[in-house]
Amino acid sequence: MDGLTAFQLLFSTLAFSIFLVAPVAFMTARALFYEGSPSLKYFQDVLSSREFVRFPPEGELLKLEDMRRFNPQTGTLEVIGKCLYVGTEGPDFGIIINSLLVAFVVSFFAAVMGTIAAFVMARYDFPGKSIFRIMLLIPTLATPFVNAYVVGKVFGLNGLFNYFFYDLLHILPFKLTIGGLAGIAFIQTLSYYPIIYLNVFSSLINIDPSLEEQAENLGAHGFDLFRTVTLPLSLPGLAAGSTITFIFSIEDLGAPIALKGAFGDDLAGKVMSFAIYDEFRKGIGSIDQVHASTFALAVIMLIIATVSFFAIKKYVGLRAYAMLSKGGRWNPRLSTPKKLRKTLTYFFLTLLVAIAIFPQVGVTMLAFTDWALSGPIPKELTLKYMINLVINPEISRAIMNSLTYAGVATLIIAILGTSVAYLVARRSIPGRDALDMLATMPIAIPGIIVAVGYLLFFAVTFSGSPMDPFINPGLLLIFAYSIRRLPFTVRSVFAGLQQTHVELEEASYNLGADRKTTLLKIVIPLIAGNIIGGGILSFVYSMSEVSVSITLSSLNPTQGPITHYMSQLIYGIVSVEAVSTAAALGVLLMSAQVIAIIVSNYILKQRVAFLGM
Amino acid sequence: MVKVLLENVTKKFGRVVAADHINLEVKHGEFFTFLGPSGCGKTTTLRLIAGLEHMDEGRISFDDEDVSDLPPYKRRTGMVFQNYALWPHMNVYDNVAYGLKIKKLPRDEVRERVTEVLRLVKLEGLENRRPTQLSGGQQQRVALARALVIQPRVLLLDEPLSNLDAKLRIETREEIKRLQRKLGITTIYVTHDQEEAMVISDRVAIMNKGRIVQVGVPYEIYNAPRDLFTSSFLGRCSILKGIITQISGNYVTVNVDGLMITGVLSIQNANLTPKREAYVILRPGDFLPSAPNTPYNTFVGTVEWTGFIGSYLQIRLRINDRTILVNVEPRSKVSIGSRIKTYIPFEYTTILPLREKRRPLTEKR
Repeated sequence: MDGLTAFQLLFSTLAFSIFLVAPVAFMTARALFYEGSPSLKYFQDVLSSREFVRFPPEGELLKLEDMRRFNPQTGTLEVIGKCLYVGTEGPDFGIIINSLLVAFVVSFFAAVMGTIAAFVMARYDFPGKSIFRIMLLIPTLATPFVNAYVVGKVFGLNGLFNYFFYDLLHILPFKLTIGGLAGIAFIQTLSYYPIIYLNVFSSLINIDPSLEEQAENLGAHGFDLFRTVTLPLSLPGLAAGSTITFIFSIEDLGAPIALKGAFGDDLAGKVMSFAIYDEFRKGIGSIDQVHASTFALAVIMLIIATVSFFAIKKYVGLRAYAMLSKGGRWNPRLSTPKKLRKTLTYFFLTLLVAIAIFPQVGVTMLAFTDWALSGPIPKELTLKYMINLVINPEISRAIMNSLTYAGVATLIIAILGTSVAYLVARRSIPGRDALDMLATMPIAIPGIIVAVGYLLFFAVTFSGSPMDPFINPGLLLIFAYSIRRLPFTVRSVFAGLQQTHVELEEASYNLGADRKTTLLKIVIPLIAGNIIGGGILSFVYSMSEVSVSITLSSLNPTQGPITHYMSQLIYGIVSVEAVSTAAALGVLLMSAQVIAIIVSNYILKQRVAFLGM
Repeated sequence: MVKVLLENVTKKFGRVVAADHINLEVKHGEFFTFLGPSGCGKTTTLRLIAGLEHMDEGRISFDDEDVSDLPPYKRRTGMVFQNYALWPHMNVYDNVAYGLKIKKLPRDEVRERVTEVLRLVKLEGLENRRPTQLSGGQQQRVALARALVIQPRVLLLDEPLSNLDAKLRIETREEIKRLQRKLGITTIYVTHDQEEAMVISDRVAIMNKGRIVQVGVPYEIYNAPRDLFTSSFLGRCSILKGIITQISGNYVTVNVDGLMITGVLSIQNANLTPKREAYVILRPGDFLPSAPNTPYNTFVGTVEWTGFIGSYLQIRLRINDRTILVNVEPRSKVSIGSRIKTYIPFEYTTILPLREKRRPLTEKR
């Protein structure tokens, strides 16, 4: 083995061991030991507790109730109308089943919405398509907590939705309010359907048109064609997208924190991610106060996420028909829909976009108007929340913290990601498959697990050192970002290496250049775009990282990044107006993401399903 | 000039043996070709010589130096890849100069040598072009220049012509041969095109399933194939199976269901006895239209198919339950269904005694 390979291997093995494997293993070990000996007691405790698994469930999904108001003249409560409660009263299947249920529902609805959108966008050509293309991706812009807050606000009893459809237009026979698990599922579906849309879309445009043409030639058309050829060929994309959605739903902390924190919606807090977070929040100051059954819950969550991830990765790998046909690029099949189909297309897309982007629109409204205080609709424009970002030293510090952590993490990611992708793509070394797995696994490991693992591992092992989370949570955040956002860069660089013929490197060896020289002079210049493009995505998604940021930063809030500050604003709810400042930070994050996506798309010159497998 | 020696060179990819105990000596300044169908292991063998693959077994030496354990960047071979492998982020000059800059040669010497080699391959004036701005033929010459400029011990060419159109292919192969003669550089060439191999090479090794089947000068391997694979790979032929009835020196007579065919034995075999099975190999171009009055080597049959090739007309002749391919004058009025009589001289008929059990083939490309 040459020096370069040895260095790359050592560097990546060390990084993964200390910052991924050890913390997770440490946490798992805690859950597996009871009074000094190996035991499954904590798992049994968790699984047999009605708090975690509850059959039959408590409460009903839909509940129609009279709304009453006290009438001071008659001195009685009088009925002023009815209200349909969706999810706010139940059901509650227990924390573990709740999480799974929400994740399944989210994946299902996101899959339906995403697949239809992808099919329409990949196969039809119609005026205004490029506008829809952008609008469909707006929900990917992460505005932690605030988007969920907007949903809660709009669908509250006196929110915008009821104001319009009940009070003003009288379309609804009753008021409608949404919360609890249904609220979380609703918020997550809106945020995550673009993951499926992007994955299926890229599957669809990569289908060799002659495969569908052949089917048409043999008599298939319309839905038959879709069912027998198009859908099966795009199934890998659909499966990958759905699984990532499933995992993202399970690990999401933003929606539960916002609904529970800002609206006191207790049911919304009954999911695994929040339950674990809450234990740590309460037990802050000392790890010993955290009960070991919390670690068991974390391990259960980890198992659910990683098993589904690797199962689907295997399936997608097996099904990677990889479009057998050879040769250059083809023109994707595009048709111009006729009247009825065109109308349906516009109707579907407009409805989808209108529903899906209102959280982001709402965040912007919160940031630029007095909506937080003005009731159902905003009354006047204001820039004071945006100005707040600049003049409030605490906020500026949070922004600086975020930029620093994300910046340093991106540098680490660039080196680590390039090394790992290069080793996996080019060198047949022992342990290559393990390395490949470690580099993709961070997608499957819920953030709260990483947070818990870090807290435990570094507080115990590095106690009193600069890597102690109670002293320097910021430093650990850099490492956490480096691992959690690594897959973006690894994927991008790996794709670049796959598109670059090995012979280009072999020609260099042949002319007398060793591995190091070849890497610097040939490989890196050829894949520079992929490194930068992947790095940019890693950077912005580090900025919007939630789970680890809020958990570790609470140990030393002066080192907290933007997302931690936002969680404080929403959860701590110092004043009603605080949410507008959080929204202003959300606008800042969205702007960074928009710029990053445009720049990296320009550099990579292609639309990558960057949240795929 | 360098001689290349391969001893027991073996390379496996999983269960596939890509190179199976290859023993070979390529002489000083020789133009040597590996010829075989795709997947026969010829490119793998070339890459083993370049050091781009690691051998499982065996030894490779240049002159008397064992290079088996040298990494590719220390072997000083000059390789031209099938897809040229020109670096798209460098212009022609930088592509060609790369190998010299790596050696940290003085800038003046680099410029001088690059200019000289570009003149040699007739690319002067294109130094600042990017590879994408060149035609296929030009790209091919840049790749050749890049390999030659480092004055390699061995020049390795991996199907360098396969991406060129038919006319350019012929021009370029003559050009490569001219350069090789001029520089006197030991050259190892890989191709699946038998015509190309025979035109360009001093010697050819026929490869099949990771093994070298036969090595020889082109004339020899064409006319005296040592086995069925070689004979059928080098141009079309009809193969008939029969029983040896008579042996006199190099001439052997075979009875193919009553048809008596006499031909030249392709392998010297002292132990050959009558009653053994043998293949008769007949090349379509060797048939003559008029037959002497002899029962030997004379075929009478019905025309089953005709194909106009241009300089000749190829016909498939059915004789009882066998068919053979025969080339005839393009202007001869042969129509499907007509009866034809044709003759092949003894000296053009190859007899190959059966070694292994095989399914009899009537015709094979």
